[in-house]
Amino acid sequence: MEVLKNPTRNLFFTGKGGVGKTSLACAVAISLADSGKRVLLVSTDPASNLDEVLGVQLNQKPTEIPSVPRLLAMNIDPEAAARDYREKMVGPYRGILPDAALQSMEEQLSGSCTVEIAAFDEFAKLLGDRQATAEFDHVIFDTAPTGHTLRLLTLPSAWSGFLADNTTGTSCLGPLAGLHAQQQLYQQTVRSLSNPALTTLVLVARADIAAFAEAARTSGELSALGVNNQHLIINGVFRAADLHDPVAQSMQRRADQALAKFPASLASLPRTTVPLAPFGLLGADALRAIAAGRMEESAWSENSVHAADELHLGTLPVLIEELASAGRGVVMTMGKGGVGKTTVAAAVAVALADRGFPVHLSTTDPAAHLAAAVHGTLANLQVSKIDPRAEIAAYSAEVMATAGGNLDEHGRALLAEDLRSPCTEEIAVFRAFAAAVDRGRDGFVVLDTAPTGHTILLLDAALAYHREISRQASQLPTSVQELLPRLRDPNYTRVLIVTLPEATPVHEAAQLQRDLRRAGIEPFGWVINQSLSTLDVHDPVLVSRKQHEAIFLSEVTTLHASRVALIPWQVEPPVGIDALRRMGTLRAEELALQQ
Amino acid sequence: MTFQVFDKPMCCSTGVCGTQVDQTLVRFAADLDWLRRNGVQVERYSLSQQPSEFAQKADVRTALQTKGTNALPIIRVDGKIVCQGMYPSRNLLASWGHVALQDEAPASTV
Repeated sequence: MEVLKNPTRNLFFTGKGGVGKTSLACAVAISLADSGKRVLLVSTDPASNLDEVLGVQLNQKPTEIPSVPRLLAMNIDPEAAARDYREKMVGPYRGILPDAALQSMEEQLSGSCTVEIAAFDEFAKLLGDRQATAEFDHVIFDTAPTGHTLRLLTLPSAWSGFLADNTTGTSCLGPLAGLHAQQQLYQQTVRSLSNPALTTLVLVARADIAAFAEAARTSGELSALGVNNQHLIINGVFRAADLHDPVAQSMQRRADQALAKFPASLASLPRTTVPLAPFGLLGADALRAIAAGRMEESAWSENSVHAADELHLGTLPVLIEELASAGRGVVMTMGKGGVGKTTVAAAVAVALADRGFPVHLSTTDPAAHLAAAVHGTLANLQVSKIDPRAEIAAYSAEVMATAGGNLDEHGRALLAEDLRSPCTEEIAVFRAFAAAVDRGRDGFVVLDTAPTGHTILLLDAALAYHREISRQASQLPTSVQELLPRLRDPNYTRVLIVTLPEATPVHEAAQLQRDLRRAGIEPFGWVINQSLSTLDVHDPVLVSRKQHEAIFLSEVTTLHASRVALIPWQVEPPVGIDALRRMGTLRAEELALQQ
Repeated sequence: MTFQVFDKPMCCSTGVCGTQVDQTLVRFAADLDWLRRNGVQVERYSLSQQPSEFAQKADVRTALQTKGTNALPIIRVDGKIVCQGMYPSRNLLASWGHVALQDEAPASTV
């Protein structure tokens, strides 16, 4: 692997969800440890699956990996970091301040700001303070899906600026007491990130136009922040071995087409190409094989084979028929980034609009490409995007006009300063999300939501807001007051969990389902996307992958979901109204089965 | 002269981080800023950020024990509580602080 030549001390992996960041970060970490270096592997992803990939239960302290000498790994769980922080703040006052005061302190320290700040603080300790990681030769960060990663990485400079500008002493960053004392640490963090001798940013992409676009966007944004030492890994590049296999040919053609449209801004970066593996990337041996470029069958073990047709798997058209019978409401596609939430949401929206319903298709995912997926117009179908920047601008303008209306110049400046805080984005996006859900009263709203971790935070915020609302309901928009009851009402909101027939996506989807259930939301059904199971494949890599996926189809139907729709891997890219319509329409043989 | 404000738990001075912006908080933050600009020392404490300031003051602790968080905000001027459970107007702040109200910056009426 090219990326393993002269590696810097810090390596950051970033990329659209599902491109294989975690697997590659692990493969690189193992390879460096095998070469004699002491390596610390850190996940800052709230939806991290580092445990599963390494096969070791991790926590917030570096833990040795038994199968890999010299490798230690840790998970920074933002929720846990926030809990620790909360206890550190509240604990000393138990028995001194009254219970009501303690409770309200805890409530205040439960917000998303605290989670964000606590997670960042942990991250800065590792990167900004050399002492904390002095015993390691390399520190490798398996960072969160892109939106979150960018937030995490851009915060240092945003906060340094914010702290420098903040003259009144009280601010939204208050939950982290003594933040000014941390300023030096945060500045050191920014310096480490932009020092090419210390840090490499590894952009991970699949040979896919959307993933390339995402990598180019990330590359540009981070360059603008001074993070210029970048390396590109193109993961899972498939070369057809069987020229008579139409699926294999189409798969290779699609990768070739994407590579032909490779963004110019990425072309100058040093690059590593990793072929599509015929096996699942779990465990040290499989990861060593990837790092060494060994793809032959001896590197992986044969899996037991289940026939997919023995399982009771539905199809997308059947699922859409059930959704349509409700006549209105909200359909939300949720799941890890990269599993095809956007495509499924767009296919559902097109099918519902074709049936004559008014449909609004929208997203809260900053990295979504809805307009590109639909690529056309249809009567009854309205496509929009909840853009954080636009929402912040609108919300700030509204607050300045209403709350700021009676203030003098100094008062307005003070208010404007508080509105620049990181919380404003959360609130502005939240209100826009509630407004979108509200539209489900009059027609269909199909929401392509953000990657798992962010989605959970969003719902968590909904819960926190709900508690807040029951305490002080007054001038709140009705849409916000009604949000949580609506998300919990199975006749109003139908959640589709989208996954791929692979270990990590299925297990993350199961985790997402548990989180939703904790929040009182029962998913309507699961959609398993890009399956080879119903296709006739001959290419050895694809045959192996098809066998491998049967385990996970079986797991979903027996353990997780009562309603499953299987979407076959699409020979034609599912882009544009016609292709989306085909996905949501019964094929002739399925029609025959229905009758 | 020193004003001490013991706030309700909230994460920022103007309350913009809540589900709705509280006009009173926005106005009060501006009024405190005005006091400062007129040479009055103003210290502002939040229960979630500086609990020790609450715990150290016997009168504040007692108020919390009898009325709970309804006692907040508490305003002390030179170590004496002058007001509890409400955000006072600029007129009141001005009289406690012996600051003249200026014509060009009209007092808020909330």
